[in-house]
Amino acid sequence: MAKFMFLMRGDCTQAAEMSPEQKQQTMQEYGAWFQDGMQAGWLLDTGNGLDADGRVVHPDQTVTDGPFAESKELVGGYMLVEAADYDTAVELVKGSPMVKGGSTIEVRKLAENAME
Amino acid sequence: MTSEPPANEPPQLVEHFFRHESAKLVAVLTRAFGVRHLDLVEDKVQEAMMAAVETWSRRGTPKHPGGWIYRVARNRVLDTLRREKIHRRALALAQQTEAGIEALVDDWLADDRLPDSLLRMMFVCCHPALDRRSQLALTLKILCGFSLAEIARGLLMSVEATKKRVQRAKKTLEQHQIRVELPEATELQERLAAVHQVLYLMFNEGYSTSQGHEPLRDDICEEAARLCHLLCEHEAFSTPDSRALLALMLAHAARLDARVDADGAAVLLAAQDRSRWSQPMIAMAERWLLRSKTEAPSRFHLEAAIALVHCRAPRVEATDWRLIVKFYDRLLALHASPLYALNRAVARGEAGDVESAMTELEALRDHRELRGYFLLDCAIGRLHELAENPTAAAAAYSAARAIARAPHEQALLEKKLRRLSSS
Repeated sequence: MAKFMFLMRGDCTQAAEMSPEQKQQTMQEYGAWFQDGMQAGWLLDTGNGLDADGRVVHPDQTVTDGPFAESKELVGGYMLVEAADYDTAVELVKGSPMVKGGSTIEVRKLAENAME
Repeated sequence: MTSEPPANEPPQLVEHFFRHESAKLVAVLTRAFGVRHLDLVEDKVQEAMMAAVETWSRRGTPKHPGGWIYRVARNRVLDTLRREKIHRRALALAQQTEAGIEALVDDWLADDRLPDSLLRMMFVCCHPALDRRSQLALTLKILCGFSLAEIARGLLMSVEATKKRVQRAKKTLEQHQIRVELPEATELQERLAAVHQVLYLMFNEGYSTSQGHEPLRDDICEEAARLCHLLCEHEAFSTPDSRALLALMLAHAARLDARVDADGAAVLLAAQDRSRWSQPMIAMAERWLLRSKTEAPSRFHLEAAIALVHCRAPRVEATDWRLIVKFYDRLLALHASPLYALNRAVARGEAGDVESAMTELEALRDHRELRGYFLLDCAIGRLHELAENPTAAAAAYSAARAIARAPHEQALLEKKLRRLSSS
């Protein structure tokens, strides 16, 4: 088994245009999926959502406002998952309400598994 | 940010929690920071809700979900104001310190104080500086928490046009420096009448074109009734007209479910399964109408009374059409609307007086407001049916079908025509 980091990427302006009613529904769907993952055991850590705000520290010690990426590619959250291989991990992602709801999820294997 | 323990239960919230929380927080925070920061407040409340989606879906719903969203939204509003260096000025304008505002807002958010802020916001959204349609769009946005896309769908407008209208309305409020307060006693009657008009229009928008596959429209009706109920719970605003308007909404809402069949097709009053009408809601409508007694009944009183005549009839044949005709007579005396005249003529026909009903309808043909209005041809068709003249009825329904625009209206006429040709 290997560990994977799921990075949720998406346009935060899109989320802002959701109505409160849609947000409530989204919350229920996400919640049910996290619950399933924890119970089934493949979800090691539900992780967190990330604020759209941010600071970037550069090598010359300067600090700039805002996250690094374009808003379309902004990382909006992460979680930690256990799966046999990329194919299995990708299948989990395909079944997620995030992807079904229009978000993009980036799947990255943790380097600690490189020996396996 | 939150000290609440993670819940093991999947997140469970009451129905429409986010929608109503959004209205609450926007009303209270706008009251604290002023109408000029309405956009900022709305944005931050929505951001706080997104944070809630991310956090609660992972850790469960906190013990006080409303307080959680409020704290996040308030902090973000203050952060932005601070960053934009308008903080001091904003506070000065509100004649408050930061701690003072917090204490005030906490107080305003208390259950028993909350209706006050919502009502103030209703009067802001229905301010006479705005035209009726903008008042409606703004009320749907701010007090009902509908998104621009939903409002556009509900009002049959494009999203772009809806967005422009809402933005323009907000700008007007800012320019006129409208304060989040209740109207003065001297202008109360007029301002309350505007709120009534907006709620009546809102309910109608939801009701008149409601279809099975568009649950949003039922929600619009429900929200109109909820806001009207707020008026009726307030000492100064619970006037006979407010109560009659609520009775009218409840009497119609009682029949919402029965207006759609199992296949999602629209069902007209006469063909509805009356066992599906909500008796508790009808009883509530009756009670509010009883409590709305006045020397000078408004059109809300009379329209509610008519709706309740239908509600009381166990079968369509048992409808007291003569009583309905009388109510329409009184409505016409209040307001000479050709729509009232049309409905009175149909009621008169149903009551057995087809000939004079037909004369009345024919006289309406030249009316400017009814030109190209498919319901006039529908009414004529119905009278021909009552006169047992199926050929003329079919001709009238065909004419109606040619000008009906909504698909469900055309489907209904199609059905009528098929039934006529088979009998």
